Amino acid sequence: MTRGRRRLITGATVAAGTAVLLHFLPLFHVVPLDVARQRTAEAAFAPAAFVERFWTEGLIPGTGGAVDAAELIAAVQQDRQAARRTHGRRVGLGDVYYYYVAGIGRVVSVDRNSVGLALRDDQPQVQVLLEAGPIFGNAVRDGTGLLDVNDFANSQDFNALSAEINRRIEQHVLPNLRRMATIGARVGFVGCAEIMDEDTDLNPLRIVPFLVEEP
Amino acid sequence: MSRTSVSVISLPLFLLLLGLAGCGDSPAKPAGPPKLAVIISTLNNPWFVVLADAAKQHAIQMGCDAVVFDSQNDPAKEAAHFENVIASGYAAVLFNPTDADGSIANVRRAKQAGIPVFCMDREINATDAAVSQILSDNYSGCVALGQYFVKQVGESGKYVELLGLVGDNNTWNRSKGFHSVVDRYPDLKMVAQQSADFDRAKALEVMEAILQANSDIDAVFCGNDAMAMGAYQALVAAEKDKQVKVFGFDGADDVVKLIAEGKIVATGMQFPKLMARTAAECADRYLRGEREFSQKTPVAVELVHQANAGKYGDYGRKDAE
Repeated sequence: MTRGRRRLITGATVAAGTAVLLHFLPLFHVVPLDVARQRTAEAAFAPAAFVERFWTEGLIPGTGGAVDAAELIAAVQQDRQAARRTHGRRVGLGDVYYYYVAGIGRVVSVDRNSVGLALRDDQPQVQVLLEAGPIFGNAVRDGTGLLDVNDFANSQDFNALSAEINRRIEQHVLPNLRRMATIGARVGFVGCAEIMDEDTDLNPLRIVPFLVEEP
Repeated sequence: MSRTSVSVISLPLFLLLLGLAGCGDSPAKPAGPPKLAVIISTLNNPWFVVLADAAKQHAIQMGCDAVVFDSQNDPAKEAAHFENVIASGYAAVLFNPTDADGSIANVRRAKQAGIPVFCMDREINATDAAVSQILSDNYSGCVALGQYFVKQVGESGKYVELLGLVGDNNTWNRSKGFHSVVDRYPDLKMVAQQSADFDRAKALEVMEAILQANSDIDAVFCGNDAMAMGAYQALVAAEKDKQVKVFGFDGADDVVKLIAEGKIVATGMQFPKLMARTAAECADRYLRGEREFSQKTPVAVELVHQANAGKYGDYGRKDAE
């Protein structure tokens, strides 16, 4: 075999080997633009889908973890700090904390953004204020203790959950609350309170409800 | 012993020797107190100077030597600082990243070199690189700020938003928190939204340009206090400081003073000293052998307005830090 022929065979073998290698391990893939967009969308965090699952599999089945509203209010009246230690939940560092609350009350006030409830039959004053207007903040996301920031790759995803949970409350919970909210009617609720200022948020206890029902 | 069994035994031995040889390449542990690197996104903003100084001070209090590195908002400079830190045998890094995605590789390199990294204030988009991240709860802070904005400006009007660095998660957490509130009021119209990179001088320029086209605005929401100061300066120059309400974020001393004087409406108080102290304490615990850390610790932001501005100063609450 001549040297030239040997070189030709070696070159052809290397080329064939490279072709086989590139077939199995290509340097790049060409995909249609719409497929690429779909893949990017699938890889991105989808807060609506997450909240849909969380709502049915975590939030609603987990309402047993809420403290009784009457018990909490009595504890707060007795000693705010002790109530906070016993029933409150703090996320990270700072003075903001949360209560996860359930109860039944009688409607004693209704206005544009809230429904006031008295928990005792002999109580004419509002003891619990259910938020009924636009819902802001992280009360439900952080109040139940069911979601943890450490389970999310970045805080933007975690914050998107709050916006989605609040949107869902406004669309699915508050219409029922407003329908039930006639003076004297009894309303059962489960929700969370975000305590940023104890003087304004505890008296009455301001709650973002995620479940309301006729008891 | 057959040739095959010799190979089976010698392969792990070879790998072990290779690993030991690799360890020999890593910088030797220097004698003396451990060195902590404080790598900060920029020292061109007083807020970050406070963060850097507090981190350095706490590191020294814990018996470490500490050196501050200024990345000047430049990911390339930040990468060079990490190279330096890895080569110089630092024990840990207290880190304020320039970019949530771009900074991940630097943190991973340090981790591979056995140097733990503790993020302060700004986040990286990975939960397996830094030992812990002490992060301001920007979103919640701006939700509160947005609610106060609506209370002060009303449910209708025109406003401008100055954004920070577009590659930083804090920029968007603040903007999204604010918009989660104000966007619910359709008569509140945002007439301009521009980035001024968290920079006072740039905010002055951007605000001057915006005012040329929008002289009838009612408010400006700024993603940090340096930009609030720049925007306020532009409004004073245009004699519109009485007409336009300025909102900032950070809790910088000069802004808190202007809030007390009624010249700026509100800001969100972050706690740079608290974050620096917490990150330094985590580093200290790590160096003493602890390994269990929460990956992310949010630090609550407090709304500062004219009625409570007296409670705040020196980048925190007067009665707390």
